[in-house]
This record gives sequence, C-alpha cells and structure tokens, in this order.
Amino acid sequence: MKLLLLEDDDATRSHIEKALTAAGHVVDICLTGLDAVFLASSNEYSVIILDRMVPELDGLSALKQLRAQGVSTPAILLTGMDGIRDRVEGLEGGADDYLVKPFATTELVARVAALARRPPSVDAITMLRVGDLELDLLKRTVSRAGRRIELQAQEMKLLEYLLRHKGEVVTRTMMLENVWSFHFDPQTNLIESHMSRLRAKIDRGFGADLIHTVRGSGYRIEASPP
Amino acid sequence: MKKSSSFNSAAFRFALLIAGLFAVGSIVLLTIVEHSLRAYAAEATAVGLRSETAILTEDWPDGGKQEVIDSIRRRQRSAFEQPFHFLLLDAGNKHLAGDLPLTAARKGWGQVTFVDDKPQPGESGDPETFQTLGTRLSDGSLLVVATDTFDVQRVRQRLVAFTIGSSIALTVLALIGGYFIGLMFLRRLDRVNGAVARIMSGDMAERLPAIGMSAEFDHLSTNLNAMLDRIAALMEGLQQVSTDVAHDLRTPLTRLQQRLEAMQGNNSEAAYEAGIAGALAQIDEIHVIFRALLRIGQIEGGERRDLAHIDLSELLGRISEAYQPVAEDAGKSLRASIDEGVAVLGDAELLAQLLTNLIDNALVHTPQGTNITIALHQEAACAVVTVADNGPGVPADQRGKILRRFYRLDQSRHTPGAGLGLALVASIAALHGAELMIEDNEPGLRVRLRFAAVA
Repeated sequence: MKLLLLEDDDATRSHIEKALTAAGHVVDICLTGLDAVFLASSNEYSVIILDRMVPELDGLSALKQLRAQGVSTPAILLTGMDGIRDRVEGLEGGADDYLVKPFATTELVARVAALARRPPSVDAITMLRVGDLELDLLKRTVSRAGRRIELQAQEMKLLEYLLRHKGEVVTRTMMLENVWSFHFDPQTNLIESHMSRLRAKIDRGFGADLIHTVRGSGYRIEASPP
Repeated sequence: MKKSSSFNSAAFRFALLIAGLFAVGSIVLLTIVEHSLRAYAAEATAVGLRSETAILTEDWPDGGKQEVIDSIRRRQRSAFEQPFHFLLLDAGNKHLAGDLPLTAARKGWGQVTFVDDKPQPGESGDPETFQTLGTRLSDGSLLVVATDTFDVQRVRQRLVAFTIGSSIALTVLALIGGYFIGLMFLRRLDRVNGAVARIMSGDMAERLPAIGMSAEFDHLSTNLNAMLDRIAALMEGLQQVSTDVAHDLRTPLTRLQQRLEAMQGNNSEAAYEAGIAGALAQIDEIHVIFRALLRIGQIEGGERRDLAHIDLSELLGRISEAYQPVAEDAGKSLRASIDEGVAVLGDAELLAQLLTNLIDNALVHTPQGTNITIALHQEAACAVVTVADNGPGVPADQRGKILRRFYRLDQSRHTPGAGLGLALVASIAALHGAELMIEDNEPGLRVRLRFAAVA
C-alpha cells in the first residue's frame, strides 16, 4: 500500500518508515503540514499518518484542510496529547484513528492495516467468513464446519471485530477501544481472558486453529496457511 | 505601574455625577415648590381680601356709608400691624376714605404698585405691588381693599437664594468628598496592586489585603485570594507530580537498566530475545505510570469537560460483564446487583476508567476464592456504587492513605501496579463531585461512591 507519513522528528520518522516498509508498504515522507496537504491532495494514498505537532501547519489543521477539500483518505493522528478532549478533537477533525505517543510500532502497523480500504465483498454485509467459520450478522449466529457454536454477546462482538480484520494483526488496545470502548489499559488481563474463551469455543476440537497469537502485538484470525 | 490621580478616580467621577444630579434635582424641586407656593399665596391673599371686604360691609347698608368710613379710619389709626390698605370712593369717584392711590380704583381683582407711606418693620421704602379687590356697593360707591404681595415674593426670593446656595455648597462638598474618597480608594487599591506585584514577582505566599470600604470589596479580595489559593494548590500538585515522577520512575528505570546490562555480552540468542521482551515490558510499565500521572494531572488541573447524562446502570453492567471471565480465570467470583435506569451527570470515559480501576483493584489485591460484589443502587436521590470484596482488606489506619499517589500497602508490594489506581479513582470522583468512602467490609474492603442527584 502507498502511505503518506507526516513526522518532523527524524528518529521517530525513520523508525516508523522502516517498520512500515518492512510491512510491505511504500511510504512518502513530508515534514510540514503544508507539504502533507499538497501531497495528500495530489496523490492517491491508502492511509495518511499525521503527527499532530509539526511546524508551520499542524497535523490536525492539515487534516481539516484535506477534509474540507474533499479528500477522504483514511487518516491516523499521532500525538503526545492524551487528554480525552484531544482525542475527541482529533476525531471530530476528521481522523479515523488516534494513536498516543509513545506507541509500539507494531501497534501503528496494525492500525494502518485495519484502516486501509478493502474492496467490499458481496456478502460482507450479512456474512463474515474465515476458513470454515461463518458469522451471520443478521441472525447473530456462528457456525464452524456446519456446527453451530453458541457465543455470548461479548464474544460475538469480539469475533466480529476479528473477522472484519481477518488476516490482519489486531492489537489489545484496538480490541479494548473497538469492542469495549475502553480508552485505557486495565491492570488485569481482560483481553487474554476473553480470547481464551473465544478460542476454546471456535478452535478447540476443530483441528486447525483460526485465531493466532502474534507475539508482542496481538492476535490475528486467519485460515491456517495450507 | 501607572500612578493614577484622584481626579481620574471612579470615586471622583461618581461624586461629580451625584453633584450634577443633585443640581438638576434641586432646580426641579425649586420649580415645583415655587409653583405651589405661588398658588397658595394667591389663594391666601384672595381669602384675606374677601373676608376683609365682608367685615367692612358687614353693616351695609343699615349702618350707612359713614359706618364703613369709620371702620376704615379705625383700622388705619390702629396701633396693630395692619396688612390691609383701603380706598372708598363715592359714585362720583370722590375720595371718601383710605390710603390707596386712585389708580387702584377698579372693580374686581387687580394690582397696584405704589410706595407704602408707613412701611412695616423691615420693609424698604421701595414701590411695592399690592393685590386689590374692588367691590361696588349698592349706592354706586366703590370699596377697594388691598394687601401687599411682598411677603410671598420675599419667601420666593429667599427660597431661590437658599436653593442656589445649598446647591453650590453641596456640589463643592461632593467634589471635595469625591476627591478624598478617590484618594482613599487609590491608597487602598495601591496596597492591593502592591500585593499583586509581589505575587507576580514570585512571592506566591503573598495574599491581597482587605480593600475595606464595604463588604462587596472585601468579598472581591476574598474571592481573589481563594483563586490564588487554588492556583497555589494546583502548582503544588504539579510540583508533587514532578517529584513523584522523578522518584517513582527510578525503580522501573533501574530495572530496565539492569536488564539491558545483563544482556550485554551475552551471546545466546534466546537470552537476547528474553531480555528484549523483559525490557519492553519494563518500558510498558513506565508508560502506564506516565499515562496515569498525566491523566490525574489533567483531571485535577480541571481540564474543562462537558458532563453529560450517563446511564450508569448500562455502563456498570457492561463493565461487570467484561470482567466476568477475568474473575473466573483468577479463581474469584464477581457478582453484580445493578438497579435499572440509574443515571449520573458525568464523563462516560472517566467513569468507565474509575469503575474498572475499582474492579481491577479488587481482583489484583485479593487471593483466590475471593468473592467480589458490585452494586449500583439509587439511594434517595443519589446513585451509590459499591465495590466490595471479602479479601484481606486494608488496616483502618491506612484507609485514608491508599488514595494517595504511589501509596502501596506492604502486603501489595509484590503485586503489579504503581499505586496510582485509587489516586486516579479519587481524582475522577472529585471531578464528578462524588463522595468516595473506603470502608471495612468485615472482612475485606468496601469502596462506596455516592454521586450527587441528577437534576
């Protein structure tokens, strides 16, 4: 995928760039908000990544300008500001995701992948599938290899989130934010507990595992490679 | 700082305004008084003239004309002060009696001006204006009675003089008073400004003196002092945070350093991997501390927030459901008893953090087999949240301290965390105006949180 990165700190920028390039992306770099507006409005990017605090035109203002120009490319704001108001401001300014510094690069890579537009598949709206697992969004039922699996409401939401990002890494914080709307880290292993239950239900006794742990990052749902 | 003159002071300008208003008011009052005085005097004069005429013609016509002439002469000779002048003319306009000049000979109401030949004490020899009433008697003779209007005029003149005099005096007094009050104001304000200057130059312990003069001004300086207290408290909090950060980040940073040192010169790839994982975990811990501290700082610093109606029942229900598997995995039970439809005014995200912190705490600091209960009840108009466990609890003498930043019980030193969870709970509760109570659950710990009623 082709990405745009606005970041004025050299060390951070080269670090992020390396990680994104390693994940198979092509990264365009810019150092000021004005350049970001110019580049993003004249090129097709899959995702733009904007540091909020950069000289001349800050990342949020640049994003607002882009949105005003009708550029709807998915955008992630990177910021050192962790106030609730800051995040709300960012999201209202047109950001699709908001990542507070310091963050693990794996977190950013996972979020970029989650944001990138995928071509909509025909049955995406009513049925989510991975391997022989099916989630019927209308009936709220799950089955694997034709066998019905009973899931609790939370497990259903978690599975739906994983399936909507199938093949991608989903981090703990992404799950906390999107499944439980928690914008903070609980001290306890909330995600692990839920994941172990979900795994027990959809993977145990079916041979091949669908849910994979990605060490140091999170989880991924994927039909096992042949 | 610019030194201001008393003439420019608000008090002086106020005095000027009052003096001006007083002058206008005096003129209006004078006009009204003068008007009614004139009406009253005219009325009194008319009544006097009519009754005098009636007395003179009392015996008319029985007593004959001579009786009237005698009465007039008697009156003129009288030693008593005589306010009336007379004129009696027969039908042929021949003078019969009286001291009025012939110009006064007119029937009905009239006025005549002449020099009184026997002025009353205090009157000058100047010409005076008299009010006359002429009455035609039945034989064609004319009786004119006159009385002077001088008294009325004199009263009017004195009134005008008095009013003008007092207006000038009052204006001058107001200006002098305004000047001095202004001076007094400026002196007092100079003291306040001096205190402000000292505060600005860094003396944060300085407070504004009472301005004096009146309760409102003292109220102002009291309020300003309260504001300074608040600012000082915030600054102290900030200082506390920096000290805490410096102090409590040392532990995880030291551990991180040790790990990295241990990795140095170690050739085993597995040991490297383990070392890096450990170092990253250590850094995560530092991030957690940072975030919690920053958040407490933001909340206590009063970051403005729009509070909304939050369905606390739904929120707590969702959280307790989310924690069920966590409790099970830890070998503890988590039971919730939640009243439906309990709402509070708050910030959903912070409340979620508060509630999860309380539940996290109960899960982290208790042994296996502990029963944890979560409850939400509407008590009177207040929403009350209870998170209780039957674990080891907190000794009574330490219950107040566990809300402090970085405070940890000795028994919990081996559990993860930095001692910030309850400090964050306390600051979120304070932001919501909720009362936080740390109690003995006999056995165990019970934390209760009482929110104010939603209007």
